[in-house]
Amino acid sequence: MTNIPVEAIAVKTPQPLPGAPDNWKRFFSFSTDHKVIGIQYLVTSFIFFLIGGFFAMIIRGELITPEADLVDRTIYNAMFTMHGTVMLFLWMFPSLVGLANYLVPLMIGARDMAFPRLNAAAFWMVPVVGILLMASFFVPGGPSQSGWWAYPPVSLQNPTGNLVNGQFLWLLAVAVSGVSSIMGAVNFVTTIVMMRAPGMTYFRMPAYVWTVLSAQIIQLYGLPALTAGAVMLLMDLTFGTSFFDPAKGGSPVLFQHFFWFYSHPAVYVIILPIFGVFSEIFPVFARKPLFGYKVVAISSIVITILSGTVWVHHMFASGTPGWMRMIFMFSTMAIAVPTGVKVFAWVATLWGGKLRLTTPMLFALGALLMFVFSGITGIMLASVPIDIHVNNTYFVVGHFHYVIFGAATMGMYAAIYHWFPKMTGRMYNEGLGQLHFWLTLIGANLNFFPMHPLGLMGMPRRVASYDPEFAFWNVLASIGAFLLGMSTLPFILNIVGSWVQGKKAPDNPWRAIGLEWLVSSPPPVENFEEIPVVVAEPYGYGKNEPLVENGKVIAATEI
Amino acid sequence: MKLRTIFTLLVVAIALGLVSFWVGQQSYSWLPPQASAESKLVDNLFSFLVTLGTFIFLGVTVAVLYTVLVHRVGRYDMSDGPPIEGNVTLEVVWTVIPVLLVVWIAVYSYQTYDRMAVHGPMELVHLHNPMGMEPAYAANLEGGEVVEPIEVHSRQWAWEFRYPEQNVTSAELHLPVDRRVRLALQSEDVIHGFYIPAFRLKQDIIPGKTIDFEFTPIREGIYRLRDSQYSGTYFAAMQTDVVVQSPAEYQQWLAQAASQPPQSSANRADYEYKLAAKKRINAGWKSVPPAPAPVVNYPAQDGRA
Amino acid sequence: MTSLDTPMTEVVVTHAAEHTHDEAANSKLGFIVFLLSESVIFLSFFGGYILYKTTTPNWLPEGVTGLAVKEPLINTIVLVSSSFVIYFAERFLHRENLWGFRAFWLLTMAMGSYFLLGQAKEWSELSFGFTSGVFGGTFYLLTGFHGLHVLTGILLQTIMLLRSFIPGNYERGIFGVEATSLFWHFVDVIWIILFLLIYVWQ
Ligand code: HEA
Ligand code: HEA
Ligand code: CUA
Ligand SMILES: [Cu+2]
Repeated sequence: MTNIPVEAIAVKTPQPLPGAPDNWKRFFSFSTDHKVIGIQYLVTSFIFFLIGGFFAMIIRGELITPEADLVDRTIYNAMFTMHGTVMLFLWMFPSLVGLANYLVPLMIGARDMAFPRLNAAAFWMVPVVGILLMASFFVPGGPSQSGWWAYPPVSLQNPTGNLVNGQFLWLLAVAVSGVSSIMGAVNFVTTIVMMRAPGMTYFRMPAYVWTVLSAQIIQLYGLPALTAGAVMLLMDLTFGTSFFDPAKGGSPVLFQHFFWFYSHPAVYVIILPIFGVFSEIFPVFARKPLFGYKVVAISSIVITILSGTVWVHHMFASGTPGWMRMIFMFSTMAIAVPTGVKVFAWVATLWGGKLRLTTPMLFALGALLMFVFSGITGIMLASVPIDIHVNNTYFVVGHFHYVIFGAATMGMYAAIYHWFPKMTGRMYNEGLGQLHFWLTLIGANLNFFPMHPLGLMGMPRRVASYDPEFAFWNVLASIGAFLLGMSTLPFILNIVGSWVQGKKAPDNPWRAIGLEWLVSSPPPVENFEEIPVVVAEPYGYGKNEPLVENGKVIAATEI
Repeated sequence: MKLRTIFTLLVVAIALGLVSFWVGQQSYSWLPPQASAESKLVDNLFSFLVTLGTFIFLGVTVAVLYTVLVHRVGRYDMSDGPPIEGNVTLEVVWTVIPVLLVVWIAVYSYQTYDRMAVHGPMELVHLHNPMGMEPAYAANLEGGEVVEPIEVHSRQWAWEFRYPEQNVTSAELHLPVDRRVRLALQSEDVIHGFYIPAFRLKQDIIPGKTIDFEFTPIREGIYRLRDSQYSGTYFAAMQTDVVVQSPAEYQQWLAQAASQPPQSSANRADYEYKLAAKKRINAGWKSVPPAPAPVVNYPAQDGRA
Repeated sequence: MTSLDTPMTEVVVTHAAEHTHDEAANSKLGFIVFLLSESVIFLSFFGGYILYKTTTPNWLPEGVTGLAVKEPLINTIVLVSSSFVIYFAERFLHRENLWGFRAFWLLTMAMGSYFLLGQAKEWSELSFGFTSGVFGGTFYLLTGFHGLHVLTGILLQTIMLLRSFIPGNYERGIFGVEATSLFWHFVDVIWIILFLLIYVWQ
């Protein structure tokens, strides 16, 4: 960075810094800056996380006693339907897209995404999805009450007979969300393939970028199947066709295939970028290169391919013949191999390092252990004889909350803390961060562990009332849930407080290696004054080599 | 040095193995009583998976916690760790071991599934599926008469059982112990799930087709039968009892039930729906009306309905 | 840090000149990726159709004996030929022969419209409807969804045709034309599969 052109210096100072708090107005505009859009996604989705969490609080409030006494059964059913829908379609997917939006162009040395306007359009569909779903509370009959799978025939039963009903709005919302995700996926794939800086070969991309690529490819092949199923369900519901209505010759099981052909791979859309986050955070705070980087990168693609071959494991107890159960049991278990490769690589990265337990590191470690736990219960579910017993019980609910809360949401927290200085130019408060971590870790385990014994004992999911023998573990789970609800307070306090008046962050507070750490915090509008030329593999910790041409070494002794 | 590492690793592995074995043995107590022949097979498989899973989970956790505790750095130590980028041998080992483990788990699961079916006809669950696997009924192996299957009727939100030979209908499922039992599962409206935790058996009931289902109860007692596939408003209340009796008691029960005139059985969904209709303010949204309480020779006795 | 509120356009202008990446290549890749994804919707519908067709006991609604093949076959030939016509149109544009382009482009549009009209006529003469069992449902779903794509193609073609009258429009690149043409080939291939499934396999 010795010979910066004179003009570049001239424009350097007046550049508005996206993310700086005095610049808040742009977050309400149709901005095409990927960094603004990234933050828009993150903030919007977090608001929906609180709403989805609020529904969860009502669920746990109802389940603290065996009787259906807190809310009416129809309300309970609407609650878990909306909880699942909001958490997946309005928290998990958009927040991950937001993070990727912010990071991918910076990490690969691009000035923006390939299609900035498409990007903005995709984002603004998210509030539309939210409005549609929330509006469904106010139509006759209330919101959809058929669970987030919307299995027919239950989803086709329309007790009010109204044309505009909760299920109708639900389908519309899912369709809009699908369109938005496809737009995003096209954008990410193009960006990663076409916009990499000179010298940034595929095997010099950070592992996070690999995971985003893998995840977005899943969206591209999976979502259309869900869309097809949703269109047919909408026709059945609204125009009286009979695709899925057994009373008129349709096949409800076909819908299940459409649904899970997407919704199973969708769980890897969620977890893959979180794997990427682990791969970024562990090397920084262990001060060691990512162990087996290439294998870790490739295993993401392997997971992408395998994930398209396992969907029937959600239908083992459904109308599924024995041979199909066996085939999908084998394919499902195969996923343990590429995933295991990653897990062991992270452990080896940590091993013998110089560990520093900052908030992002703590969250990443907690998330990793909860992931391994959930992966093992996942393998149990994949075993057909076991799944026949625990399918549709709380054992499944326990399995997926360990992944989706324990690994994915906690991984998301890790990411937010890790890149918060970069995004906002401010440091977060470490003390509050640690408090947040411990409350979350304890709350999550207290909340979700008891679900496993409950499921083994035979407590079905989606019940507003249950037999008294299940009360003990449910009380524990509810206490854990309320603790978890509380745990968001220090986080919100921390983020809002630090963003407004936190300590100013240096460009590279973690002494991390990566293109995003070479620019100012927050980065200028077009990221790089001069597109960097990459000369090394990522994660060169302890190697004393520069990452970019003319760049300096992130020296071990530099503070 | 090298020898010492191997020794330490060995000791840790043995310790973890012992703990895992113990946890695996405990796992039997996390499950309901073993009331069917199938449940024994399932529980053995589960115990195996718990043992293996505990070992893997503890292995990873111990490694992580160890390094977190031992390899922490001081606040002002700004040095980097050793720049180790990989190790081919290690990577091959930790790819091959999970492959072997997965094959082991899958084969064991397959055998269990197969044996659950060996206990009687070809398949545990026999669907009249589109792929056209013909039912291959072997004669009843356990001796005794070949009975017509008991019909299981499910509807929103009630269970009704019909014993065709005696023309008896019941709101409870009564079964003879130690006999292979055959059921014909049917649904009149939406998908329901036939689930008896004590039997470790479950099958979704797809409307529009009859699903054959077989198993062998092996323990007398009263168990819970639950709807396992979400079926709308009163889904949670769609439960009843399964009564496993000695064959003599069972025959007696059938005879007694046959002599009773059909009467309306208490039904939770029906009851709650009518109660809600009486209230002036509706606290919820409009629901699909429940089917009327079943009219059967033998009403539900559990008092929970 | 002092003048954070400087309008951002200023910056963008300064940097615009040094954008090195190739916008057209991006758009092309993006469009291909999109079409690949779109094809999965059709694949799903086809999969559903095959399943219904092989498992439904009373496949055809009462009173329906089958579908007439003759008119749809003519329709098919017209649509498939139009794929060649549009290819020539594109070639003319490459050689900067605008009138040749317009003529062949218009011919493509005419053939597409003929197809749509033929489809509409067929629909209006059928004795079964959208709600006549899974057969009626899948038939109208598949042909309708495909027809929607043909319509979209014709609309895109109209835009490209009008654009050709803006002086110098295609000197800056012909991505729009290439994409429309690609889309048209895609719609064609889908139709061939659809025709085989619905009309030939009866
Ligand atoms: C991000 C989300 C996520 C992720 C990553 C996973 C990962 C896995 N899931 Fe999970 N799952 C869900 C989210 C997720 N799941 C959700 C939301 C549902 C329920 C949806 C609903 O019903 O509403 C569900 C339900 C579900 C079912 C259906 C249960 C039922 O309904 O009856 C099954 C069955 O096979 C399953 C299996 C698995 C497996 C095998 C993995 C594997 O990918 C796990 C692999 C990881 C490991 C195995 C650990 C690490 C590996 C090692 C340390 C190597 C050594 C290990 C071995 C040799 C075993 N999941
Ligand atoms: C990313 C996904 C995600 C996440 C993060 C969560 C988070 C939580 N879930 Fe989740 N859950 C699902 C996805 C998720 N869930 C899905 C897909 C289903 C299946 C649905 C179905 O069956 O169809 C499900 C089902 C489900 C059930 C089963 C319901 C049933 O089957 O009957 C339960 C029960 O305990 C539960 C509990 C919780 C709890 C306590 C949390 C906690 O982590 C939440 C913690 C709460 C907060 C962090 C927010 C705190 C906010 C406040 C205290 C108030 C603020 C209020 C406002 C601003 C309005 N969930
Ligand atoms: Cu009754 Cu599901
Ligand atoms: Cu899955």
